Amino acid sequence: MTRRNLLLMAFGLLVGLLPMGAVAQGSQKITLSVLWFNDSNESQVFQKVMADYLASHPNVRLDMQVVPFNDYENKLKLMIAGGNPPDVARITNNQIAMFVNQLQPLTGPVFSDLAAHYFPSSLALGSDSSGRLLAMPTEATANGMIVNKTYFRRAGIDVDKLSLTWDWDQWVAAMRKVLAANPTCKYGVAVDFTPFRFSTFLFEAGGRFLTDGGTKMAFDSPAGLDALNFFKMLHDQGLAPASVWMGSENPQEMFAAGLVACHIGGSWLINAYNNTVKNFDWGAVRMPKRKIRSSVPGGKWIATFKDSRHKQAALDLIAAFSDKKHNEAYCRDTFNLSARQDADIVYPSHTADFKVFSSDLSVTPAYTAEDWKSPGLNKIYSYMREQIVEGLLGHQTMAQTAANIDAQGDTFLR
Amino acid sequence: MKRRRRTRGTFEQTAAPLLFLSPNLLIFSLFIIVPAVMGLRMSLFDWSILDGSRFVGFRNFVRLARDAMFWKTLLNTFVYVGAVVPLLVAFALGLAVLLARPGRAMGVFRSLFYLPTLLSLIIVGIAWRWILGFDLGILNYIIRALGGKAVPWLTNGRLAMSSLIFMTLWTRVGYFMMMLVGGLQAIPETYYEAARIDGAGRVATFRRITLPLLRPMLLVVAVLATIESFKAYELIFVTTQGGPGSATKFLVQYIYEVAFEQDRMGYGAAMSVVLMAIIAVFTFAQFVARREEFGNE
Repeated sequence: MTRRNLLLMAFGLLVGLLPMGAVAQGSQKITLSVLWFNDSNESQVFQKVMADYLASHPNVRLDMQVVPFNDYENKLKLMIAGGNPPDVARITNNQIAMFVNQLQPLTGPVFSDLAAHYFPSSLALGSDSSGRLLAMPTEATANGMIVNKTYFRRAGIDVDKLSLTWDWDQWVAAMRKVLAANPTCKYGVAVDFTPFRFSTFLFEAGGRFLTDGGTKMAFDSPAGLDALNFFKMLHDQGLAPASVWMGSENPQEMFAAGLVACHIGGSWLINAYNNTVKNFDWGAVRMPKRKIRSSVPGGKWIATFKDSRHKQAALDLIAAFSDKKHNEAYCRDTFNLSARQDADIVYPSHTADFKVFSSDLSVTPAYTAEDWKSPGLNKIYSYMREQIVEGLLGHQTMAQTAANIDAQGDTFLR
Repeated sequence: MKRRRRTRGTFEQTAAPLLFLSPNLLIFSLFIIVPAVMGLRMSLFDWSILDGSRFVGFRNFVRLARDAMFWKTLLNTFVYVGAVVPLLVAFALGLAVLLARPGRAMGVFRSLFYLPTLLSLIIVGIAWRWILGFDLGILNYIIRALGGKAVPWLTNGRLAMSSLIFMTLWTRVGYFMMMLVGGLQAIPETYYEAARIDGAGRVATFRRITLPLLRPMLLVVAVLATIESFKAYELIFVTTQGGPGSATKFLVQYIYEVAFEQDRMGYGAAMSVVLMAIIAVFTFAQFVARREEFGNE
């Protein structure tokens, strides 16, 4: 055998063995650790939706760990700090800001192609300050309003029609009419006990928490004070219950019990009320306008980490989960808004209510996402809530509240 | 003079006690001593869980002096401890005196008072929130049904603090009562017989016999109640979340916020060191007072 033939044979063997190596590597058993929390049934739906992916990738197994939301953030922090992050995690927008240095950027043509189909505001929340995508949205959420339509009807108000154009003053007038016409209804509106929900008023008043670029607080402004004073007026005049912001009573239970006519919360309320409210007619309506109409974008994301053990397999799974088919199935079965622009979901019920939230989201300025993805702002979350309550209690003026929040926020933005 | 012979001792006298103690020592060192030392070290650093650490010396402690929320939560903690500890000791003692006698009925009552201590503080908090809620609470429902005006149990700062003190008493008094019942039952009956023969009344017997002989146990109860009250967190967080505003926010909750929400572990550790020092001072003071009392006697 000549030397040339020997070389050709060796090359042939090498080329022939390469695919075998690839097959051997591809068939290597991979157990992806998945850290998840549930708002409702998300972990079960995730597993159901990904069943076809797992069937076509028999070497991949999911080790799901579902943690209560209250413990979730600390658990994830400690896992990351211990150098053992999960392969895949469901995260909130606050956590994207928190783990911005630990999340694995989602780069490459697959993710660029996927991103082109998603709402820019959702992608903005899932990206770092330079616009690099860090997490794929699993669902979108939006702040909005659910109303007790039975109460409005009894007051002679066509709330679906009125809400298409109403402003804050018209909304307040409508709530007063509802209270007068319904003796069992004690309050006009309950707002979830979070600065995130309160911020809907701030953005509608034309205000912001941060300056452009996010380097300084800008809450202490005429628009900020307008939002704070309006919020205080709602409480002082008995239109909003003191027991939610000053007593930790659950607004969802109050709405379901028929004690309040409107509930300002997240779009996931559609799912919650679909299961719990049976004795009156309810639905989503547009948020009333001040200077502008606005919601606040939010959602949940799926991501992997720089130190995850099976990063490539995790990226493949995230990409598959984010395609149209899987995303639509997940959002339909979890009763959530999709962050995909091309999603065409028919929900088992309340499809029209989802469209109302989408409509609010479609007019929401992008800077609302920029503000809420600031790690500095998220660090003063409890402080903000406390300061707003101190203002509501009359322990300080709302101007002092705004000034205190700005001063505290600036210490983290420096 | 006879020279004392050194003996090696048997296995039971030397190695066995150490072996028996070693699991406890190991666990105590691992979960108490090591974290405490690490906490002390951490308090000297600007320490972030995710972004590493930087030595800052005593700067965290200096910063504490200017932190208005630290002083507010410290004051709230002192108000709570100042009310809870004496009331807890007094009620536990009263119940123990009433229920220390033998008998089936006494056993039933002791069990009833002890029962709440078996519940998780989270469950206790949720249950009391259902009872004391302004709009959805059972108590206000009854008050309204009787024609009264709803009471802002958890929406008024002072009432919220009072409600928390009451809840703590409800859930913890049974535990300390049982300790004192044990102490009371250990007092020999002959002392009481002698007092009766001497013509001592109930009050005199209580003051001259029960109280002095129960003092060591009362000290243990006071020390444990003090430590527990300074560290109170779960019940408060579930019931009021520290509100309204910061009216019921205690130091432990503030430490949690600073360390975990704001990711300032070093600053949080500095506050923990201060809390540890305060608890140590109170505990030491109680022991010193007890020793001086014995000296006077």
